[in-house]
Formats: sequence, C-alpha cells, structure tokens
Amino acid sequence: MNQSNHTKLNLDSTLIFIVILLGVISVFTIYSIEPTLPAKYEGYHFPIKQAVWYVLGGIAVIFVMLIDYDRFRQITWWLYGLGMVLLLILFFNFPSSIVYEANNAVSWIKFPVLGTIQPAEIMKIFLVLAIADVITRHNHKYVNRTVHSDLGLLVKIAIVSLPPMGLIAVQPDLGGFLVLAAIASAMILVSGIRWRVIFSIIGVGIGSLAVLFVAYKLFPGSIGTFLDESVFNHVASRFYGWIDPEKYPDSGFQLVYAMLAIGSGQLFGKGLHTFEVYIPERHTDMIFTAIAEQFGFIGASVVITLFFLLIYRMIHIGIQSNDSYGSYLVTGLIGMFTYQIVQNIGMSIQLLPITGLPLPFLSYGGTSTLTYLIAIGIVLNVHSRTRTFMFD
Amino acid sequence: MNKKKKKKKAQLPFRLNILFFVVFILFSVLILQLGVVQILNGESFQEEIDRTIQDTTSVPVPRGKIYDRNHNVVVDNEALYAITYTPPKGVQADDRLEVAERLAKYISMFDKDPKEKKKQIARITDRDKKEYWYLLHSDEAEKRLSQKEAADMEPGEQYQTILDRITEEEISHYDEQDLEIILIKKELDKAYSLTPQIVKNNGVTPEEYARVAEHLNEMPGINATTDWNRAYPYKDTVRSIIGNITDEKRGIPRESMEYYLAKGYSRNDRVGISGLEEQYEDVLRGRKEKIEYTTNKNGQVVDMETVVKGERGKDLVLTIDMEFQERLDKIVREELKKTINKLPSLNRYLEDAIAVVMNPKTGELLGVSAQHYNRKTNKYENADYKALYDAHRPGSSVKGATVLAGYEEGVISPGTRLYDSPIKIKGTPTMKSYKNMGWVDDLYALEKSSNVYMFHIALRMAGEYSTPNNTPVNFKGDPFLKMRNYFSQFGLGVKTGVDFPYESSGFKGNAPLAGNLLHYSIGQYDTYTALQLAQYVSTIANGGYRVKPHFVKEIREPSPSEKDVGPVFRTIHPEVLNRIQMKDAYIERVQKGFRRVFTTGTASVFANEPYKAAGKTGTAENEVYKDGKKLADTENHILVGYAPYDDPEVAFAVIIPNTGLSSSQHPSNKTIGKGILDTYFELKEERAKENVTDAKEETESEE
Repeated sequence: MNQSNHTKLNLDSTLIFIVILLGVISVFTIYSIEPTLPAKYEGYHFPIKQAVWYVLGGIAVIFVMLIDYDRFRQITWWLYGLGMVLLLILFFNFPSSIVYEANNAVSWIKFPVLGTIQPAEIMKIFLVLAIADVITRHNHKYVNRTVHSDLGLLVKIAIVSLPPMGLIAVQPDLGGFLVLAAIASAMILVSGIRWRVIFSIIGVGIGSLAVLFVAYKLFPGSIGTFLDESVFNHVASRFYGWIDPEKYPDSGFQLVYAMLAIGSGQLFGKGLHTFEVYIPERHTDMIFTAIAEQFGFIGASVVITLFFLLIYRMIHIGIQSNDSYGSYLVTGLIGMFTYQIVQNIGMSIQLLPITGLPLPFLSYGGTSTLTYLIAIGIVLNVHSRTRTFMFD
Repeated sequence: MNKKKKKKKAQLPFRLNILFFVVFILFSVLILQLGVVQILNGESFQEEIDRTIQDTTSVPVPRGKIYDRNHNVVVDNEALYAITYTPPKGVQADDRLEVAERLAKYISMFDKDPKEKKKQIARITDRDKKEYWYLLHSDEAEKRLSQKEAADMEPGEQYQTILDRITEEEISHYDEQDLEIILIKKELDKAYSLTPQIVKNNGVTPEEYARVAEHLNEMPGINATTDWNRAYPYKDTVRSIIGNITDEKRGIPRESMEYYLAKGYSRNDRVGISGLEEQYEDVLRGRKEKIEYTTNKNGQVVDMETVVKGERGKDLVLTIDMEFQERLDKIVREELKKTINKLPSLNRYLEDAIAVVMNPKTGELLGVSAQHYNRKTNKYENADYKALYDAHRPGSSVKGATVLAGYEEGVISPGTRLYDSPIKIKGTPTMKSYKNMGWVDDLYALEKSSNVYMFHIALRMAGEYSTPNNTPVNFKGDPFLKMRNYFSQFGLGVKTGVDFPYESSGFKGNAPLAGNLLHYSIGQYDTYTALQLAQYVSTIANGGYRVKPHFVKEIREPSPSEKDVGPVFRTIHPEVLNRIQMKDAYIERVQKGFRRVFTTGTASVFANEPYKAAGKTGTAENEVYKDGKKLADTENHILVGYAPYDDPEVAFAVIIPNTGLSSSQHPSNKTIGKGILDTYFELKEERAKENVTDAKEETESEE
C-alpha cells in the first residue's frame, strides 16, 4: 500500500509489459506480412524499421519521464503553436519543397535529415496537453461551477481544438479529425462540466443528426447531390461504401477484402504466413486483418483484450492520480487510444465506415509509433508521480 | 472549502468510471462483431474465397478447304503469321505500354509502302500521343491537376483534364520509334480480357515471327500464331458459287448476331455469308479449341485446361469438275462474245449466257456457268450465280412437259394427230406455229416444235376440244392449276432443292386468260431458271425422277497431309424429290420425240454425233423494259438436252436471254449445247486414256 515517497521512479510495470507485448506483436505481424507486400516495398525491411522505431520510442519515453509532467504546462503552448505551424505549412502548401503528398492526402512533411513526419499525429499529443492546461486553469479560476462557467469552458476547449481539427479535416484526413474530436470529447467528460450541460450537448448533437437523417429520407435527391458536390463527397462515398460495400466497389472494396480476410480466418486462423486475400497497405492501417486472418478469432481477441487491458490500466492511473491535471492528460490519451482502436478494428469488420487510421502500436509507421509511445511516456510519468498518501 | 474540494475530487474518478464503462461497451461490441464475422459468417467468407471464376477462351481453327470432284483444291487456306495479344486479367495501361515497347523492338508496324505508312501515321491522333506521354511521365502529368480541382471531378474528367494540359510541344518530338509503340499500344488497348486480339497479321515476316516467338516470356499475353486467309487457285472460276466469308474486322454479321452467338461464335469470327461458304458454314467452320481458365478472387489464373480440342473445319468435295468448268466458261463466254460482236447493235440488250450441266441420274452439278457482259466496263465476267438467280421465259423447251401433261390428263395419247393451223381466240391476237404444219402427231410436234399442237393440249385441258375461230374459250375447272401441277413435277415453277442459300423459283403469271394458258403451254408465260430447266430435262432423261441438284458430293474429315484429302465424313447421296405421275411408256414417247429434235428436228446439228444426244430447243419472245417503258423486243434462246439418249450421263440447259430479233441470229444456244456435250465426252475420253497410261506407268515402275 505504501509506495515509498523516496522512490524516484514509480514505474507501472503492467502498462510497460502490455506495450512491450504489443510491440512484439507488431514487429512479428509486420514480419509475417512482408512477403505478401507489393514489389515496390522490396528492400524496405519494415519489421526491422518498426523495431528501431520502438527503440527510439523507448528512448523518447525516458525523455518524457525525466521531467515532472507538471512542467509540461510551461511548454504546452509552444508545442501547440509548433503543431499549428506544421499544419499550416501543409494547408498552404508552403514551402512546397517539404510538403509531401501520398494517397491523395497532403499529410506529410519531409525534413531533410529527420525523414517524413505526419503533423496530425503529433498534434494529437499537443492537443491533449493544451486542453488539459485549459481545463486546469479554468477549474482553478471558477471553483463554483455555474452553467455560465461551464459554457465558458466549453468555448475555450472549442477555441483550442477546432483550428487543428479543421486543418486536419481539409487535408483530407477524416480519421485524424475524428481522433481529435474523440480526445476533446473524452476530456470534456472529465472536465467537471455538469451533466446537464453535457447531456444538452449530446442531445443537440443527436437531434441535429436526426434532423439530417429525416431530411435525407424526405429529400434523398437534393441532400444526396449536396453531399456529393460538397467537401463531404469524400465522407459520403465512404459512408455508402460502408453501408453497401458490394454496390459501391470504389469505396467499398477495401471493406470487402478486409471482411473476406478476417472472416475467413474463422476461429483458429489459417496459420502463420498463410494469406488468401490480398489487401493493399496491409502493414499499416490494415494490420488487424493480418492478425485475424492468420490467427483467427482467438488471436484477434487476444489483441483486443490486450488493448482493453491497456485502456483499463490507463483509466486506473487516471483515477489513482491525485492531481487533476494528470488525470486530464491521461483521459485525453485514453480518448485518443480508444477511438483509434475501436475505429481501426471496427472499420475492418463493418462496424464503422472506413477511415485512414493506424492501429496504435501495431501498425507500421514512424511518427505514429513515436507518438503513441510518447503518449505512454506521459501516462507513465503521471503514474510515477502519483503519491499515495496515507491520510487524505 | 475542504468539502467542496473533496466533492470535486470524487467527481473525477466517477467520470473516469463512466468513461471506463463506455470503453468497456465499445470493446464488447468489437469482440461481439468480430465473433459474428469470424465465427458465425467465417465459413461463408471462406467459401467466397474458394469460389473461383471460370473463363473460357476460344482459339479459332482454320476453315475447311474445298476441292472439286477430282480433288483439285478450289479453295485453300493460306497461312498468315500473326502476332496476337491476350490480356491477362487486371492488366493496367502501363503494363500494356511495357509490352508495346518490347514488341516494337521485334516487329515493324509500319507498312512497307510509304503511302500506306503515311496513312498509318496520320491515323495516330494527338490524343494517342498525349496518352503515351501521360504514361511515360505519369508523375509529372498528375501534378498538372491540383488536389482541389481533382476533388470536384469524376476520374474520367480528371484524366481528360490532365490530357488537355499536355502541350502540343511535348508531344511534337515523337520519332518513328515512338509512333510505332503508340500504334502497337492502340492495338493492345482494343483487346478484351482473356480474348486473343490480333496485333499484326498483315505482312508479318517469318523473321518477325521467329523473333517474337523467341521472346514471348518477356511480353505477357503476346503470342505468335498463324492465321488463315482464303486462297483461290482457280481465281474467279465459280467464285460466286463458292461465296464469301467475312473478314476479321466485320466478324459475324450484325443482323444475325444473336443467331451466331447462340451457336458459339465470337464476335470477330469469320463466317460464310454467301454461296457454299454460307450453305456449309456448319461443317466448314470446324471446332474451336476451348481453353478454360480458372481465376480465383485475386485474379490469379490457378488452372488452365483444354476443354474442347480444336479441329480444323471439314473439307468439301464439290460435284463440279474444275477442268470441265473452265472449258465450259470458255465456251459460254466465247459464244456470248461472238453473238454480241456479230450484231452489236441488234444485240445491245444481250448481256448474259447461262449454262448448267448436271448428271441427270444423280443431280451432281458438273459445271455451272453464267457469263455476263458488263456494258459499263466492257468486260466479260463470271456471274455463275445467275444460273440459280435469274429466271427467263423458256420457250418451246418445255414442250416435253406439255405433251406429258396431255397424256396424263388423257386429252391426247401417243400418236394423237392434231391439225396445226392458226388459232384465233376472241380478244386475243392470232396464235400459230412458225409455219402451218397441217396434221401432225405428237412426235412431229416435238421434232418440229409445233405450237398449235401444244395449244390444243392446253385447250383440251381447259375443256375446249374444238378449234376456236374468233370465239371465246370458257375454262372448265382450273387448267392453269392443272398445268402448273404437272410442270412442277419436273421442277418447273418450284424450287429445285439445290444446296445453295438462295435460288429463284421463277415468276408465275397471275392472269387466268385463255391466251395466257396457250402461252404457258409453249413456255411463253412463266419464267424458269437454267437450273430448273436442267432439272426438268434430267427428269425426262432419267425416266421420270426429279433429282435434287447439288454442288457438294462429299464432306471429308480434315486431312492430316497437305497432298491428299481426308477420309469421307459424309457422302451426299442422290436424292429423288419425286417421281412424275406419267407412265413409263409416255416418258419414252417424249424421249423419242426429243431424240428426233436432235437428229432430224430443230437441233439437227447433233445428228451425227456419236454420243446420241436428245433434247429440245426453245425460242421465247421477250421484251426489254426499263422503268416501265418497253425498249425492244428480244428473244431468249434456250436449249435443253442430254446424252446418250438411251442411258443419259449428262444433261444440260442453256439460256441466252434477250438476243436481238434477226433471222441471221447466231444459233448460240445450239453452239453452246454442242460445245458442252463435245467437251464432256472429249474430256471423258482424255481421262480414260490418261488412266490407261497411268496404269501402264504404274505397272512399269513396279517392275
């Protein structure tokens, strides 16, 4: 019970163990897919690279843990500003020499030495830091909550989150946009805003969606053309592809193949290296299909359970923390992870429409892996600085 | 204060617990849905993966050849080297470009003729060039369309916009090598998945063929094959009887596309569209090789199996004797030429001379010749189809049928004598023979071709036994129906049943006047084709059997060697369509009359020939009309005959329509008729001699 006050680093071994386990699964799965990747990826050595990213990520974790997370608040706005600058570079396509486009989305910046980075990934962390800071400051100032002060907090959070969300949405990166939304939502939930306000927001949200839905039912033509012609075209096509993948093969084919791969894995899977369905970009966003096809329901359930334990552990840390700023940070990261996991797995089993999002810890990717490990570093940091007081 | 803080502190874990609850629900849903997908529906997904798609590809085989009755090749297949392209599934434009670039190294797409080459180059459009540029510089090309613009466009529109933004300058520098690649790629782009498309089949040299064949593995889908073209060693002899096939470009005729598709043809298959090529399409086409490709869900070909082994089309052996046919063409043409040249102005409407020669017992057509004088080009040409298509008034040549009808109807009997003097039916011009013959019997009536004798037969069949003297004739019953019924038993006025896609059955007059009935009885009313007349005279020659004329004698299996014909697949046996009603004695009587025609009668030129011919002449009055205006009175000169008269082996019909009216008219019908029989028996003798010498040589060499 009494974790000594002297212990400098109070490491959460469970969390570390889960992350290491996920890292092993990631490298192993990427290794198993490698032979099936298209010829253009020949010589890329993805498993080795992913392992290297994990090592680098581990070092990043140590760096993150060195300083008390409370100190993050001092640099939060600098980081937020940096993230916004990077996003603006993408938005204005300037300087274009470093902007890099792939898969029809302008989401990458190429630095001469560092390699390519995805600002949207880093922005996730920066946003968590920023919102946590906003909530903490607000709650300090307004000790007595009123509807008025709650709404004020909401507006503040909106002011911080909407600009990066907008910049990411126009890339277009629907997935990234929704992750930021998930982060903000989770943090609003724990920010102390009163239920009646939260419920009203949810109510308004559901209500407007219902209105849209009814309108679509009543005037499918005009709403449909509006959707098709607007920026939502991209969103709409994915939506159609999700509802009826066979009928909308353009946007639905990924889902058709993903379902084939996962479904045919059945209970026990087909075994290592056995793939019958070709799925493009399988080492990144579609890595879950590789696990489910090779190792079946059992293998896939183990992975989902690991993720669940990870989130559970993080929530535990959030609850344990006796500093609300720490709790906010952890909650933001919980929102990020939960949304990405549910979205990534859900989209490949037709639970949600397809959006381009990596599966945390498992998908191949430098920036994303680093981002998630840094996030874990923050969580570990919060945990290690949580003191358990005998009298409270 | 403290309490407040506590409250606040307690609230955070509570909210986090709610968050945890949400997370728990979400993950439960994930596991649940995963269970549905993998456990509940897993099997059906597996089934879908295992499901494969079968595609069959047909490889065309050469068409059957056509031989004459002596096994001389009449229609041959000329092998042409061809480079084909069968695109594998899921081939992309840049794959095709790669194939085209490689192929350009091995073959030349340009015509040797510089003019043709220019045309080929002119056919390459700017769009072709731009598409080529796009493929070569795809990164650069795609940059010409910004992300924002692309978002509002359909993929096709995007492509078009990018093409539009490729400048003229960029595509102006292409040299011949590039153009060649573009030409090849255009051909490759036409191909449907898994269906062979010809890239080049014109003027592929054996070197090109060999080079491509050596490098097939570099070019997926490319194949070096042989294609076939029809070759005609006898040039245009009986070409219109043989008929035509469509070319690769036209494929199966559009108007009967469904018929052919249902019979398993592909759209670009070549089919017979006229003549014997059409008639015997089913045997000539052969059996295509069918290969079944099994493709899995990923588009990989997992299995390839020959389902149907291909077989070249079967060969036809014609009844036509090409040597005889060539001589026949010459006889008919020379005679037509001579007649026209003798009285060019008088014979200005004379354009055709038609002859049909057949075996009267079997119906085998030995030679069919229709020579046509093309007055526009001043050239004589083969138009053999006219023997089946063009019907003319036969004149007195049908009198054999009239006399037989008279016997059978009981209005005359062998030996009946009738008085030949002019007949005048009220409201009709006087009708007579070319001279008044007085009392004539049936044999004499045939020999000297009495018209009045025939008129009396017709009148009696109509119930009129007295000679009308400016009095009307009232029909009892329907004499036209009776007459036509008898005539049709000889094939006159009905189809002969020849194995050809089309034949005319002639024109039937439809005014039941007494005058017309009399004209009918002497071949001046209904019209018949030369083939119908040949069938008619054969029926009399062979003792009353109407045999079906035919062009094809045998169908043979494709031969394994080039030199010999293959084994017989089917023999076309003589087919008797009907036996005429008349008694043998009656038929013999008419045969006797016909023999007298050829000895002491109107065709006495045959009198001294050893082959003892018999037959009947005919001269029909005819008129030439144009746009409903009568231009001139003409005559059709007809001769039907056979030989030897007691055991006929050859029968013929000759029609020379629309000769000018003149007493000094060339007797072309008899000259042609005589030429036919002379040639036939000469050839027979020559062949008999050859056989003897052949046999001798054989025995000699054996020694």
